Amino acid sequence: MKFVTYAQNLNDLNRIKNFGFNEVILGHIDFSRFGKLSDEEFYQLAERAHDLDLRVVFEWDVLMTEEKFHPLALRLPNLLKWIDVLRLQDPGAFEWSLNNTQLPLQFIAENGNHNLRGLQEWADYAHDRLERIILSLELPKNKIEEYCQQLKVPCELLGLGRILLFYTPRLLLTPLVEEKISYNQEIAAIGESEESPHKGFPIVENRHGTFMFHIKEFCVLDHHAELSAMGLSCLRFDLRWTDFSYLDAAMSVLKNEKSFEQFKMSFPQDLMKGFYLTNKTDVLFPKLKNHRLQNRQGDYIGEVIEAEKGSHLAIYVKNELGLKKSDRLKILHPKGEEFFINIYSLRNLALEDVEAVAGDSVAIIQYATGVWVKSHVFYA
Amino acid sequence: MKKHFPEILAPAGSLEKLKVAVLYGANAVYVGGQKFGLRTAADNFTLDELKEGVLFAHQRQAKVYVVLNSFLHDKDLAEIPDFIKFLSEIRVDAVIVSDLGVVKTVASLTNIPIHISTQASTLNVEAAKFWKSVGATRIVLGREVSVKEAGLIKREAQIEVEMFIHGSMCMAYSGNCVISNFTQGRDSNRGGCAHSCRFEYSLDLGLDSMEKKKAYFMSSKDLEGLRILPDFISEEIDSLKIEGRMKSHLYAGTMSKVYSEALSFYQENGHFLSEDLMSWEMELKKVSHRTYTQASLVKPAGPDSIFNERENSSDSEWQMVGKVLEASPKTGIVLEVRNAFNQGDTIEILPFNGKAVSIVANEITDIMMKPLSRTKPSTLIKLPFVDGVERWQLARQKV
Ligand code: SF4
Repeated sequence: MKFVTYAQNLNDLNRIKNFGFNEVILGHIDFSRFGKLSDEEFYQLAERAHDLDLRVVFEWDVLMTEEKFHPLALRLPNLLKWIDVLRLQDPGAFEWSLNNTQLPLQFIAENGNHNLRGLQEWADYAHDRLERIILSLELPKNKIEEYCQQLKVPCELLGLGRILLFYTPRLLLTPLVEEKISYNQEIAAIGESEESPHKGFPIVENRHGTFMFHIKEFCVLDHHAELSAMGLSCLRFDLRWTDFSYLDAAMSVLKNEKSFEQFKMSFPQDLMKGFYLTNKTDVLFPKLKNHRLQNRQGDYIGEVIEAEKGSHLAIYVKNELGLKKSDRLKILHPKGEEFFINIYSLRNLALEDVEAVAGDSVAIIQYATGVWVKSHVFYA
Repeated sequence: MKKHFPEILAPAGSLEKLKVAVLYGANAVYVGGQKFGLRTAADNFTLDELKEGVLFAHQRQAKVYVVLNSFLHDKDLAEIPDFIKFLSEIRVDAVIVSDLGVVKTVASLTNIPIHISTQASTLNVEAAKFWKSVGATRIVLGREVSVKEAGLIKREAQIEVEMFIHGSMCMAYSGNCVISNFTQGRDSNRGGCAHSCRFEYSLDLGLDSMEKKKAYFMSSKDLEGLRILPDFISEEIDSLKIEGRMKSHLYAGTMSKVYSEALSFYQENGHFLSEDLMSWEMELKKVSHRTYTQASLVKPAGPDSIFNERENSSDSEWQMVGKVLEASPKTGIVLEVRNAFNQGDTIEILPFNGKAVSIVANEITDIMMKPLSRTKPSTLIKLPFVDGVERWQLARQKV
């Protein structure tokens, strides 16, 4: 399995090389969400990376509308000679890179892209230009394994690093600080809300917008052997928010020189595995659904819209077959109780006695004890 | 040269709301089935209701788009073909999808036009070209895109574009927020958003003072683009979308009415200098909403687009009191009451076209003709017939 990380300065590069990595991600200030490198700094680092035999992966993950996108894309050709691989999230950046460069591409599929078919289609679309897919952190391990096995393109997963929860281009912290020195100034905050069970969300605002992270960092280093066996081809370390020296500690875990427990104790942030073991983020959905409302198939006639005790029930007949005096009804109470009744009085809204009421109109029948408004009515 | 006018695309969280939106002037509605959409808790349509809704809309020259815009996981995708075939049979006008896997699945099964959901955050020409090349016929652009940029995207990528013109807004780039997933165990991109961006947060900004700042710093004001309708027209935007499948009948009706009337005025007069502009704006204010903003429609949304207030502090002074179930000289006006009102109160009936009709509710009876001095929610009442009042119209009252 390969490893990859971000370098922000020359020291980082030397360290990366010492661990035997063969590529490095460089974040340019205009293209990468958390990139800090100016053109000059980028050239310098890229050159040094090449001296060290490291492939330069250029990250273009800022999402941008056309007004920013177009001029920025036009700047990219000037940087290309230092770049070995482009790493992209926005389909626009992907499309542009495919058509305007010859470079291999890495596709960041971390947002959405939770089905094999979609990932396969991305790979097919790029033909042989796609050299890697960066998988979503929301995938459980059985899916990671399936994708690694089924996709013809190698896959990467975050091994250690912050979990990005939220990304907006709007500057949300600026209004809260008295004085912002410059457009380039980064503002950091820690947020908590009484309405959230978690406390201490790191929040960062920079020139690209505002970002909120999870209070814990993602870590599956203790599963690296398993991931390798599953066929994962690359594990990423994102230490841009922590001391880069933790790369040493992380690598010691991978080489079995240090226990994962020791690493966990020494790491400055709490760690979590996210959905690595299982993803049950849809199990609550049946509870969110209004089952009463869902139950409108088959013999459904309509809904009780008025229940006047001792007097009448008004039913809004939705079924195009309408309601006949001879119909026997099943009434489903909002609480689930069922009643069966025969109709012995059927009237329309003009209070005329009728034999039938058409669909999409109101029928007035005799009152039935226990039936409430919003009860559903079916042909029995 | 003939001007290009956009369609008004309204939300329909239920069959009734679909009817309301279409009757109040929407040219198209978007609806969700019981699965695959982003509004898990919404009423949503059964298969029978979808069929009826499509029929109702088509009889009135309106279109129906069905959302399949969850980020579908493998198991969801496996269930989708039968539903797609059904949608094709009932002749829905398009499906709205977010994910390449779903695009390809739909395209392999039917010829239903494919619209790329705003969930895909399509922001630029190149992204639109990509989606077009994989089979999309329309892009619902990200809310960060300006009208000018949208026009450019349409021209350069040669594809239909749809933009939000009204409603609540996700503060994040759509599809790029997983707060609920990781903090509440609910997948926001499959309909489980817990609206954490609307919470009040205390923020430690590392300032000198020890005090944390409290703010609703992640909450967005609501979008309102009425005044820039001419820009949408001149940029030839194809569809103007109103957010809000979870919102009320009154919302669906008012929004469809206001935006379609404003558009018709422009169509007839070639300008927008209508005396009605103020009254349309007043109408938009009569529906529950957060403070309005144009967000990024003209220029990138600035600090004034943040809704730094507690939720539910709506400035709406109007509420829906009922829906007309029947209106004829024979039956009178039969109203299904949603919110109570008293004898002698003035209520307004919102006609499908034109100004609201005021009625003083002096004579109220129940449907058995017993006089009432106060109405009750979830009951039917009768008022004397008034010319112009029709079935499905909505009644409202100043509170
Ligand atoms: S929490 Fe807010 S920003 Fe996030 S998905 Fe929900 S509405 Fe959008």
